[in-house]
Amino acid sequence: MTATTLPVRSRPQAGQPGPLGLARLLRVELRRNTMPWLLPLIAAVFWFDSYRIAATLPPLWNLRAFYILGQGHALIDFAPFVAGVAAWMGSRDGRRGLADLVTTSARSRFAAQFATWAATAIWAVGGYLVFMAATFWALSRSIAWGGPPYWPVAVGAVGVAAFSAAGFTAGAYFPTRFTAPVAAFGGVLACGMSSQIGFASYGGWGLILPTNSNNNYGQDAGIFYQFLPDLPIARVMFLAGIAVALVALLGVRATAGSLRLRHTAAVTAAAGAALAITAIALALTAQVTAYGVVIPALHDAASDRPIPYTPVCGQAAGLPVCVQPAYQPYLADVTAALRPVGTQLTGLPGAPVRAAQVANFFAAGPGALSPAGVGQIARISGRPPVLYLPLGAFNLPAIFGSSPTGFADQIKLETVHAFVTTGKSYGDPAQMAVEAALMRWAGIPVAAQPMQVLAPSPWALPSNGPHPGSTYPAPIAAAATRFAALPAATRHAWLASHLTALRAGQLTLAQLP
Amino acid sequence: MTAADLHRPAPEAAPPPAARPVPGWLRLAWLHLVSRRDPAAAAMLAGLGAVLWASLHWHWNVAGGAAAHRAIPLSIETGAAMVIAVTCYGPFGEPERATGRWLPYLRLGAAAALTAVAFGALAAGAAAGGLPGGVLALLRNVAGLTGTGLLAAAALGGALGWAAPLAYLVLTEGAFAGSWTTPWVWPTRPPHDLGGALCAGAVFAVGLLAITVRGARESLRD
Repeated sequence: MTATTLPVRSRPQAGQPGPLGLARLLRVELRRNTMPWLLPLIAAVFWFDSYRIAATLPPLWNLRAFYILGQGHALIDFAPFVAGVAAWMGSRDGRRGLADLVTTSARSRFAAQFATWAATAIWAVGGYLVFMAATFWALSRSIAWGGPPYWPVAVGAVGVAAFSAAGFTAGAYFPTRFTAPVAAFGGVLACGMSSQIGFASYGGWGLILPTNSNNNYGQDAGIFYQFLPDLPIARVMFLAGIAVALVALLGVRATAGSLRLRHTAAVTAAAGAALAITAIALALTAQVTAYGVVIPALHDAASDRPIPYTPVCGQAAGLPVCVQPAYQPYLADVTAALRPVGTQLTGLPGAPVRAAQVANFFAAGPGALSPAGVGQIARISGRPPVLYLPLGAFNLPAIFGSSPTGFADQIKLETVHAFVTTGKSYGDPAQMAVEAALMRWAGIPVAAQPMQVLAPSPWALPSNGPHPGSTYPAPIAAAATRFAALPAATRHAWLASHLTALRAGQLTLAQLP
Repeated sequence: MTAADLHRPAPEAAPPPAARPVPGWLRLAWLHLVSRRDPAAAAMLAGLGAVLWASLHWHWNVAGGAAAHRAIPLSIETGAAMVIAVTCYGPFGEPERATGRWLPYLRLGAAAALTAVAFGALAAGAAAGGLPGGVLALLRNVAGLTGTGLLAAAALGGALGWAAPLAYLVLTEGAFAGSWTTPWVWPTRPPHDLGGALCAGAVFAVGLLAITVRGARESLRD
């Protein structure tokens, strides 16, 4: 028998690479990925830049998470590093001159690159989620009530994936050793610009940026009403669209695989871009409501339901004071601040019979929801009269330099202001003098009031310079001192008989006793 | 024709042009620089100098306090340090170490030269005027940041050397926000501050020493 007479063997069928093979490839890439090496460094940066600051803020989820998630510091801490490492991984084959070799392997070039990117993204996103979980656990130990917002976490996770896609694609297209630092540097610039635009944008396309906290984070979201998911959903769409488009770009190249795969990749890239553009268009339709940003196409009416709660209460000189349970750590401060004020007001017409906390709402820009051009302030209303305190709008202790004394002073000021002026921005001179005297009896010296209490308040004293006035006008200070010097019974009796005229603005300084 | 004839040039053949011999050390240095992509790095550093010039000339600014005011120049200085750190990555590994007697000196020379190029390029960019802290602070910052990059290259590998200057940038921004004044965060110190200069110089010296003696760490995950 010769070779020519041997039966022809059928050509072995090339085995189709199956999902099992892809999983094996992914496992190999996960094992050999560079990302885990950098996670300890990112953890250190994250602790320093995000957690360390957040832990010093008041124990409320909306405030503690504001810094990490609202202003996007968690994403900023991750993104440049992830982009750099992803670029390094994406440029691996090209840098080593192996591109031609791996192109001829059984699996398409795109599949191999996709596995490498997926491994990088899994490490990065996994690290992000683990760090966030640890952060939430650590922060929650001192938070009395409520839970963290989860949609912004999803935004950050998808953002990390998007930066990994951007870095990886850059590395694959420009396989040099410099692509990694350039991608990381680009990540820094992108985050910096996002923050810069985000700080100034209260609406429009700028809302889509993941570092923009305006009108969608803070206030009393997650306490009195829910964190609205509308904008985070749009942001997830935006970042996911970018990630999909960039990863799909890997499949467009001539060496990526079959023509069909390249066409599919092109269509996918276009779909990803369309998704990102759609998200921007949705952000343009956003409306700022009391509960935050609402995007009509994404809005679920169930999100507007207030969060039920059982208030926690205390007593301030016979005045029942109730707050939302999340604010329980501040109940003692509130009752202590109201006690000296309540003592003076008891028995006067229009004096509150109880105090209750009300929600602090979002506004369409600074001060837009203000009842009298001064933001959200305390007010007394209803029959019987109730003192309503929007504590979320106050400078809570530990919030960027505020102290317990400052918090107490603000409660005293707003309470007497609500009582004397019925919520106007500035009182007339007689009202200001009576307010000053009441605060004097609540423990704040008249001379100290302009800088200590009024300057940080919404109705700081006017002056000729850029800073608030540091002293009362002399006639007001004299009248306040004179009125404060009266015996308590005399002062109380005068207020009982003249309060209606005082509130109506019908009294002058000279008419004060 | 015999084999012996081959040694003799044909009578009609023109004599080969007399090439000027390149000194061996120069060729070695050049090959080392090329293997580390130092010429490309120099070009990128020049580009960063141009970016710095543009940022100062057109007053690019970030809203905010002291940290924001220095954010752009400091980011560019960080970018320069990141580029230098990445040049520590060598593709040859064991063969180079086994045969390269002059390798430590080449590493030292390359890192020092690139740092000088970075400072020169950024100083030229700073000619537009208005650089916070002036050229003295620039020298201190570039040296210190490069030192962190060289240290990271020695510890993590040249591929990841860029990560340390980036992390230091975040640390610095946090220090500005928190009004820290430790000299170890030298960008927060005045340009003539001795403590900041000493710390930056020490980090640069240690980084240079590490990269000279040990070279960039090699990892199979590269």
